[in-house]
Amino acid sequence: MIRLLAVLALLLVAQPAQAHKLKLFVTQEGAEISGKAYFAGGGAAIGIEGQVLDSQGQTIARLQTDAEGRFRYTPPSDAPVRIQFESGDGHMAEAAIGQISRPPSPSVASDVDLETAIARQLTPLKEQLDRMESRARLSDIVGGIGLIIGLFGAYAWVVSRRGKTS
Amino acid sequence: MAHIPDGVVSVPVLVAGAALSVGGMALGLRRLTPERLPKAAMLSALFFVASLVHFPVGVSSVHLLMGGLAGILLGWAAFPAIAVGLVLQAALFGFGGVVVLGVNLANIALPATLAGLLGRRLLARPAVAGAVAAMGAVAGTAVMVALSLALSGREFLVAGQALAVTYIPLMAVEAVATAAMIGLLAKVKPESLELRP
Repeated sequence: MIRLLAVLALLLVAQPAQAHKLKLFVTQEGAEISGKAYFAGGGAAIGIEGQVLDSQGQTIARLQTDAEGRFRYTPPSDAPVRIQFESGDGHMAEAAIGQISRPPSPSVASDVDLETAIARQLTPLKEQLDRMESRARLSDIVGGIGLIIGLFGAYAWVVSRRGKTS
Repeated sequence: MAHIPDGVVSVPVLVAGAALSVGGMALGLRRLTPERLPKAAMLSALFFVASLVHFPVGVSSVHLLMGGLAGILLGWAAFPAIAVGLVLQAALFGFGGVVVLGVNLANIALPATLAGLLGRRLLARPAVAGAVAAMGAVAGTAVMVALSLALSGREFLVAGQALAVTYIPLMAVEAVATAAMIGLLAKVKPESLELRP
């Protein structure tokens, strides 16, 4: 058993630990919402269906991811919306988009262009951050195993005390 | 997937799952004798880390569950072992939701226990017993997850198909792994199987 756990530990160190979970990454460029659905640590979620909900929870549009797991959507109004994706086997991911900022007037169009350009440049960086956050970390794994040992140890202690008093 | 996130299943399914889990835990804790505690802790830790071992299947990927192994070695005591692993997976990795813990526990631990008890009857041939327990546990979990989704208003066939595609390779992998482990235990540490004379 100890050898087996050692092999497992090696496996974990050798490959980056991954979490199997549907993730949704959403950004806003001007009035358009674009995003990507993917399985944490795995590939893109291709061709899965999602929906856009308004603040009352009503479906206002349906979405489907393309071959790269990406989708685009332009909301009709500025109201906050929620985007929800679900794969057939019971995974679900949700993202909320707050107030949508539209260009206030044509005179500041160049500012808006700049903002859009910056947002586009930042998108891959944000996606990477999002991915990193969803990874299981080695410290979490070791901490979890420690908790299990402690928990069962404490239970064994309680049980052994009960045995002595009776 | 075995770890259903929050917000997917309906309230009646949540209640049914929680009730099944409480029942299983009550039975399991009674069977969790002091001699079995180290074994239960070991299998709980194994279950906890096994979910991080992924392999790709089609467009998705699937991770090990190792419920069959816990079931065959612990019987009903697999319930508390898997429960501890599941709580920590939810808390540390974000696998599965918190409200649906009862449903997830029932979906994983109940088939694991039943398949494990079935496997124990075949322990005369340890490798066969291990394979039966592992395959039964994975297949049972797939059916229960598909049922939980169907009873919550999802398309049973869609969920069933998606699960079958990913779970059949998982069944094969877990059957081989569990058969090897039970075979090894029967040779080097037969007392761990608690064979009655």
